[in-house]
Amino acid sequence: MAILRVLSAAGDTQYEWDVGGIERGDPEALAAVREAERIFSERQARGATAFRVAPGRPAERLETFDPQAEHVVMVPRVAGG
Amino acid sequence: MEALIVLVALAIGLAALVLGLALRVAAWTWRGFDAGRAHQRAEALLREVLTDAEYAQLGRCGYLEVRSPSRPTRTYRVPRRPGRVAVHEGDVEIEALCVVPVGRLPPGDIVLAHKLMIEGNEQEYLRLANHFRLWPVFWSA
Repeated sequence: MAILRVLSAAGDTQYEWDVGGIERGDPEALAAVREAERIFSERQARGATAFRVAPGRPAERLETFDPQAEHVVMVPRVAGG
Repeated sequence: MEALIVLVALAIGLAALVLGLALRVAAWTWRGFDAGRAHQRAEALLREVLTDAEYAQLGRCGYLEVRSPSRPTRTYRVPRRPGRVAVHEGDVEIEALCVVPVGRLPPGDIVLAHKLMIEGNEQEYLRLANHFRLWPVFWSA
């Protein structure tokens, strides 16, 4: 399973999809990944930045949605305080 | 008759007051419950993304040390509580940065946001931050 987590005031919202299911053409998995991609684009348009994360490895910025990325965290827009 | 009307009006006013107070208390309680859940979720995510050593450091020192991906001697100390991020060159703190998310985030998510931005998007992070220089350094941001 892959997961997209969007940080917000309520804690993170999670969107999951099955990478294996996408490869098999499973309609449910395809619908889930399309929804995750839609959220990704929508948040990015609002200024959020996406990062691929893994424990013990530095975060890597994602410019575009990657259905193969196992764990992605989206950080809302930040500004100088 | 007039006394009865006054009494009914008073009773209605009192009932409205009590109802208003009850609704306000319920809203406060719900908000508190919601904030508590958000805090727990943020903490769980932080625990998942950080290594054991990083999470322990956050508890022990009150900050998370994040290495600069572009400068080998530079580290950023992201505070556990709201505050400025301290920039260190070697052992010397050279400046403090003020960067905040636009919109509210639970404290754990704020720490995570700093870490991800520094590791994955350092130049943009530095561009957006307000810089408070502490030392007449030769390094540029």
